[in-house]
Amino acid sequence: MKVTVNINIGGYAFHMDEDAYHELKAYLRSLELHFTGEESASEIMADIETRMAELFRARLGTFRQVITMSDVREVMEIMGRPEDFVDQDSYTARDKFASTSSHRMYRDPDNRMIGGVCSGMAAYWHLDPIIPRVIFLALILAGGLGLFAYLILWIVLPEARTTAQKIEMRGDPVNVHNIKESVREEFERVKKNFKNK
Amino acid sequence: MNSENAKAQMRKGILEYCILLILSRNSCYASDIIKELREVKLIVVEGTLYPLLTRQKNSGLLSYRWEESQQGPPRKYYELTEAGREYLKDLDQSWNELIESVNLIRK
Repeated sequence: MKVTVNINIGGYAFHMDEDAYHELKAYLRSLELHFTGEESASEIMADIETRMAELFRARLGTFRQVITMSDVREVMEIMGRPEDFVDQDSYTARDKFASTSSHRMYRDPDNRMIGGVCSGMAAYWHLDPIIPRVIFLALILAGGLGLFAYLILWIVLPEARTTAQKIEMRGDPVNVHNIKESVREEFERVKKNFKNK
Repeated sequence: MNSENAKAQMRKGILEYCILLILSRNSCYASDIIKELREVKLIVVEGTLYPLLTRQKNSGLLSYRWEESQQGPPRKYYELTEAGREYLKDLDQSWNELIESVNLIRK
């Protein structure tokens, strides 16, 4: 037994297995990211989604109702990953790819105690967040400098809001696999919060 | 320096030319264009085509109309505009010239 999710692709309703849904969502996000900056990004995405809806319908036929992981994988194979599109506009695509796999410091809102400055530093340097926290606390106790530095950093560092920013914060390259992991983490967190309430 | 970049640049221009060539015969649905390009091994994944079509449409070379489909959502049928035909004539000529030049040097 599996949980299914109801989604709308290109104006058509589909039932999907939960794992297939996550895979598809991550894939579409990676495409969106790839087409960012393109003049008609939303139109291209709509064309692609319409085509995917058509491919899914052809795969389901009349008897099957639920889209599975293997359907999603097959359709992704046909449409191709952003990495495979490189040949259409190799320079811009590669430049964009290079800039999205950069490494920046952000405030990490998911693991924050106060402003997310220490958790952001920890994510950036791959440390345990306790280390920057202890250092800041020591600096604060030793004089006012730590507090001052913390406030400056809180103001200066942007918060990592989007999936791509969170990946950038950790310095991982932005690709389908990483986005999928992040989306899943986020989903699990929301689910947990929901259960706690 | 590897050859990938040069190849990608070459393929990009040729791909645009071939899309216009296919559409010059009759109006097509994106999947028909894909099928033809795939048969001649010019593209591997479908996703490559959609941004190209949209760009050509935006620069006025193509237009499209919606057509109902029995299998699913309505389909976009692309066709060459008058400007697109002119553009294609230009490309035809420069293609012939290029082939000639390259063949002369390769000899």
